Amino acid sequence: MVNVQASQNFRVTLEPGQSPCLLGSRCRECSTVVFPKMPVCPACRRNGTMEEAEIGRTGKLYSHVIAHVAPQGFAAPLFQVFVELPEGPRVFALVGSECPVGPGVLEDGMAMRLVIEPVSTARPDTLAYKYVPLDQSERNS
Amino acid sequence: MRDVAIIGVGAHPSGRFLEKPLKALAHPAIWDALTDAGVKPTDLQVAYVGNSLGGLLTGQEGVRGQVVLQHSGITGIPIINVENACASAATALRGAWLEVASGVADVALAVGVEKMNVGDSARTIAALAADSELDLAEMGLSFTTSYAIHPKINLKARMKEYGWTARDLAKPAVKNSQNGSLNPLAQHRRPLSIEEIVQSRIIVDPLTLLMCSSISDGAAAAVVCSLDQAARFTSKAPVRIASCVLRSGEYRLPDDRRPDSATAAAFTAYEQAGIGPEDLDAVELHDAMAPAELMLYERLGLCAAGEGPKLIDDKITTLGGRLPVNPSGGLCSRGHPVGATGLLQICELVWQMRGEAGPRQIEPVPKTAMAQNQGGLLLGQDSAAYAATILMR
Repeated sequence: MVNVQASQNFRVTLEPGQSPCLLGSRCRECSTVVFPKMPVCPACRRNGTMEEAEIGRTGKLYSHVIAHVAPQGFAAPLFQVFVELPEGPRVFALVGSECPVGPGVLEDGMAMRLVIEPVSTARPDTLAYKYVPLDQSERNS
Repeated sequence: MRDVAIIGVGAHPSGRFLEKPLKALAHPAIWDALTDAGVKPTDLQVAYVGNSLGGLLTGQEGVRGQVVLQHSGITGIPIINVENACASAATALRGAWLEVASGVADVALAVGVEKMNVGDSARTIAALAADSELDLAEMGLSFTTSYAIHPKINLKARMKEYGWTARDLAKPAVKNSQNGSLNPLAQHRRPLSIEEIVQSRIIVDPLTLLMCSSISDGAAAAVVCSLDQAARFTSKAPVRIASCVLRSGEYRLPDDRRPDSATAAAFTAYEQAGIGPEDLDAVELHDAMAPAELMLYERLGLCAAGEGPKLIDDKITTLGGRLPVNPSGGLCSRGHPVGATGLLQICELVWQMRGEAGPRQIEPVPKTAMAQNQGGLLLGQDSAAYAATILMR
């Protein structure tokens, strides 16, 4: 079963050359960008000025941690991170499965790239947005 | 607005009480508060019941307050169910305070109750995670991870910025475990050493097991009354609610320069009470993870940025210090039955301010004290609810 709530937060683009993105909102009055989508701008508090924005194709690792106790539906150890998007928001995210979990693998400030994949092996039908180091994904492709 | 006093408090011990449903946990807390206040169930004109996880964990939806209070003989009055994550009990107190301050009621009851031990800790942890906005919870963001790396607290970054060590992060837990060892209602009563805290199992770096509050059942209650009518019920000195502040988190972007929301709540509370942080004699604060206490020191205006560990090193916030913090043992030692915590803090401060705290009594007896309680997590990078309550005698 696809998780409808979560999948509204990103777009998997299947056209060649296109990469997936997160879906946020941009205020056409004050240019504030938020994630996820909102109908009211939290900065200028106007209603009806928010337009869908494709964001977060890349980002910068803001902070990261290895969780040694897994939340329900996940396997430990796993990376949990915040990524700062060039458009503004900082988002909580998981790290793509192509990236091995261990100390020294991630470094705050490093460039990251968005990937869409199952949220965990226990929930193969639920897609989630994750980030991987930009260099590594380029090496692997 | 009328002056409002707390005239009675009561608490159930915090810990593991697998066999007790919510109403059995709440009953002794409620009746201890009523007895303490000299108030009969029929004197109560309104009641607020805080609870956070009962819907998910017990399956009882919608009417938990009425179920809990009917079991304790309280019926036929407005009963308001309050759900506000880990700040549910502070929110319940605010409701009761507002009823009396506004003149709608003369006597009101606030209850906080939580049952977290249901024989399946994975289910409990998942229910707790659901106090975060669902998009976050479904990606497995736990409160431990949140304290470690969330932009609003980011202990890993604070360690770099301030030069805090793992031993610094453990200091609040050492102090609070000493306090908790003197509290018969505390969940964990063994004093901990800095070494065993630092060396306990890593949950989420840099948080170790003994820096984290644990799964807990418990309950607390307070009877509030208009100050001018307190003497009708009790000869004990009333403890006045000087301010009772609640606010929601803000949607914050990285360049947000507004004050932290815990700071905003506390300073509004100081202003409404006509005091400053330097006037406090005791504080109970929301150390869901022990190192959060270090951050809250600065956010509540108790020290400059980065100086949290020094308040403990210099014995300022220990029981014998100038400003004891978490004399009850705090969330990590006394316990954190989440929907009861805000009122467990109030119970402790009232006992301290009446000189009834036994071996952990603060001397001289505090005249002014603050309870700080917060809960939940939003996608907008703030907690969901922030409460600050100032008591004076």
